[in-house]
Amino acid sequence: MRPNIRPGRIAVHIALVLYTILAIGPIALILINAFKTRRAIFSDPLGFPDARTFTTIGFDQVFTKSDFGLYFVNSLTVTVVSLGLIILIGAMAAWALTEYRFRGNTIIALYMAIGIMVPIRLGSVSILRMMVELNLVNTLTALVLVYVAQGLPLAILILGEFIQQIPRDLRDAARCDGVSEYRIFASIILPLITPAIATVAVFTMVPIWNDLWFPLILAPGDGKQTVTLGVQQFIGQYVTDWNAVLASLTLAIAPILVLYLLFSRYLVRGLTAGAVK
Amino acid sequence: MADVSLHGIAKSYGVTEILRDIDLTIDDGEFVVFVGPSGCGKSTLLRTIAGLENASAGELRIGGKRVNEMPPAERKIAMVFQSYALYPHMSVYKNMAFGLKFAKTNKADVDRRVRRAAEILKLSALLDRKPRELSGGQRQRVAIGRAIVREPSVFLFDEPLSNLDAALRVNTRLEIAKLHRELGATMIYVTHDQVEAMTLASKIVVMNQGRIEQVGAPLELYHNPRNLFVAGFIGSPRMNLIKGQVRSVSGGSVTLAFTGAETSVDVVPGTLRAGDEVTIGVRPEHMADAGANTIALEGRIDAVERLGEASYVYMKLASGDDVIVRSPGDVEAAPGGRYTAHLPGRALHVFNAAGQSVQFGK
Amino acid sequence: MSDITASGVQPAESVSVRSRFPVHVAVFLAPALAIYTLFSIYPLIDTIRLSFYTGDESGARHFAGLANFYTLLTDPAWSGHFWNALRNNLVFFAVHMVVQNAIGLGLAMLLSLPRLTGGSVYRTLLFLPTMLSVVIIGFIWQLMLNPLWGIAEKILSAVGLGSFFGPWLGQETTALITISLISVWQFVGIPMMLIYAALLNIPDDLLDAAIVDGAGPFSVFWFVRLPLILPTLGVVSILTFVANFNAFDLIYAIKGALAGPNFSTDILGTFFYRTFFGYQLQVGSPTMGATVATAMLIIILLGVLIYLFGVQRRLQRHTF
Ligand SMILES: Nc1ncnc2c1ncn2[C@@H]1O[C@H](COP(=O)(O)OP(=O)(O)O)[C@@H](O)[C@H]1O
Ligand SMILES: [Mg+2]
Repeated sequence: MRPNIRPGRIAVHIALVLYTILAIGPIALILINAFKTRRAIFSDPLGFPDARTFTTIGFDQVFTKSDFGLYFVNSLTVTVVSLGLIILIGAMAAWALTEYRFRGNTIIALYMAIGIMVPIRLGSVSILRMMVELNLVNTLTALVLVYVAQGLPLAILILGEFIQQIPRDLRDAARCDGVSEYRIFASIILPLITPAIATVAVFTMVPIWNDLWFPLILAPGDGKQTVTLGVQQFIGQYVTDWNAVLASLTLAIAPILVLYLLFSRYLVRGLTAGAVK
Repeated sequence: MADVSLHGIAKSYGVTEILRDIDLTIDDGEFVVFVGPSGCGKSTLLRTIAGLENASAGELRIGGKRVNEMPPAERKIAMVFQSYALYPHMSVYKNMAFGLKFAKTNKADVDRRVRRAAEILKLSALLDRKPRELSGGQRQRVAIGRAIVREPSVFLFDEPLSNLDAALRVNTRLEIAKLHRELGATMIYVTHDQVEAMTLASKIVVMNQGRIEQVGAPLELYHNPRNLFVAGFIGSPRMNLIKGQVRSVSGGSVTLAFTGAETSVDVVPGTLRAGDEVTIGVRPEHMADAGANTIALEGRIDAVERLGEASYVYMKLASGDDVIVRSPGDVEAAPGGRYTAHLPGRALHVFNAAGQSVQFGK
Repeated sequence: MSDITASGVQPAESVSVRSRFPVHVAVFLAPALAIYTLFSIYPLIDTIRLSFYTGDESGARHFAGLANFYTLLTDPAWSGHFWNALRNNLVFFAVHMVVQNAIGLGLAMLLSLPRLTGGSVYRTLLFLPTMLSVVIIGFIWQLMLNPLWGIAEKILSAVGLGSFFGPWLGQETTALITISLISVWQFVGIPMMLIYAALLNIPDDLLDAAIVDGAGPFSVFWFVRLPLILPTLGVVSILTFVANFNAFDLIYAIKGALAGPNFSTDILGTFFYRTFFGYQLQVGSPTMGATVATAMLIIILLGVLIYLFGVQRRLQRHTF
């Protein structure tokens, strides 16, 4: 009956609320001020936009002066295609490495693991040279190839651990029925790893969407910019136009914010589950 | 050494009541077992005594002193957890010595106590190992050792044997009983296994849904269960329960009709009236032999379990009641066949429609 | 009859016998191995190779042995920048290790309190900055700390610290620390989550046992919880190390490739970028870029090796 309120708990909540304000306050400020007139941004930065101060002029600027929609489509394409390939190719390799015992199994597993610790960024000089030779500079293909190579090692590790938990009997039953190894993978394993996709997505999708380095080096122009790079270039050009800067930041934050709040349950679970290992 | 007494102890989480109005007195040196089905609140009660949970109401006294507001470490108790709860990063020695660090015990004394406990529990050779290098039984003994070194007045055990295999369980059960005799401390032991309760306890507390159903010595509960719950819970295989009706009442003696037969039983006068529904309880071992006053009950055999020294015959009576008969080991019986159970005139338990025994006062 | 037995045995054999390399295994592995080798391992190796060459104006390359490294470490035109970037990078890392891990540990401790109301809301919100792009975070804080907008000053004044405010991002003495703290602010969610998961993994019984043993809240933390999450702190440290020594985006977004003022925020990532692509009058050099990248690779590998052989082995993982 007695409510569970103790002085200690109140102090805990005060500490957590204060830090939460510190963590999301700046982001909230950007979102709020993006919808205010320049005068209001400076005179009352902490206030919410009201009838008098509300404006979308910043957003109009962003859409007329840059190809934001295009950047968004670019980012989406690169992220989704990369993630799809990472999961498919990664699952195939993870399946091969966990299911079959063959000569070189351990060596290949170790070889793939190098990429978890060594950042592929350090190979940029050669990557750029290769992309020039392959005529892939300023294409989304270049980004996809690099991101797939970058994401595979961790994906294989996570998916491998997940595949190991699928009961052996399932595959052995199929083998007794004479189902081919390819069919076993396609119709038994692939459908069963869907829950692991959330975990793989946390570790691969977010870094891809947010990356600045490779878009800057491999696809900096020709309308192939991603959102991150596009916003960076846009702000670099219009630093002094506060409305436009705030609006472009808001546009960059919004999709992630919405996705995150929708799926945070899975993201957080994936993150903590990965850590338990 | 200390006695423990609980007066009107209650515990609730939010609006769910876990424990209700628990009154109990435990004498110094007693071995008390809390038994009851899973989820009935045994662990909660034990943890309340330990001080790991606060009682929502009531008073708890240990050694005559009110301890409700005392932290666990000051209550002179020690607890053995179901999972053993050994610190995985400390050696066996450090696990046992850890609690003494906070009791400001001097080094020589700590060493003496740890080594003595290790000797009692045959752990002397294992003092430098980490818990992960021990077998289940050894871990269990370290957990007990950690309790012993604290030299508590009251030992609290929460299902300490449930993670051991069957053979080890019997062994450790005997060791705990021996430990109790040697230390003479008060012990409170929680289990859902009535065999453990019967074999260890000097006093059993049967719990159900957050309440105490009955308190008593093992055989007292076995022979005189106060209600249907205790009757069904104590004894294995469980007591047979047959539906019946009161035919007539004359003073303290009632005539009961059931499955086509009739018998007279003595009850507390005034507890039953003609026409009342009752439940008749008989232990399986009382139904095998024909005798002067027994009533034969015919039925079809559903199954036979042969244990060697006895056979359990599971049968269905003509009335539809299922009964189990503990028969001689070599009894001739097979599923599908006919079998006759013998209901004794004595050793019958009678419960009223509310499930309360009508044979004992109060 | 013998036919049937033979075909019945075959699948089992292809799974269990180690000496063969079955076709289907090759098919499953090929795409991953090809893409990973071509776009990750090969470029890394080629970069290392390139660091042993010099290029002349005509674009021809000559093998030069360790000359590039010699230049990098001793030539006044290079070494000053290199050592400066390395030193700044170490400061950047140190701030993360101390501040990020301490705050992450503290938050994780609070979040793992039993029956904490609103725990998942806090977790979700506290992790939010980690999800956003470093570039966006950089711009957000640039605005927040901009004296022109003055919002940080206003907030500090509200709590009586107004006089403390300064153009932190613009001053040589404070810019690096400020940027490090911005990065800490963004990534504190990662140690928080990993430590939180590790703390949840400690069984309640263990903490109860410690309480019965007489340990107070501080002793429970110091003698029981902390030793049990040390392996996680090790993982957090090495993840932080690798991420820090290959950071670039934040400084590029806030300060540009020149990492001003006066290179005071220059770290290895920005130094690498400038070397490779050039800046102002200096033309970029692929071979020197490769040399810097190789140096970074060596530093990261050293860190990883120290962790794997010096730290991780000593941190026993506990299963409960
Ligand atoms: N922290 C808690 N919050 C809410 N309910 C709890 C909590 N701990 C235990 N319970 C509930 O209390 C009841 C009794 O639990 P417990 O004492 O552990 O039972 P037992 O040990 O007899 O199996 C159970 O129904 C359980 O669900
Ligand atoms: Mg229990």
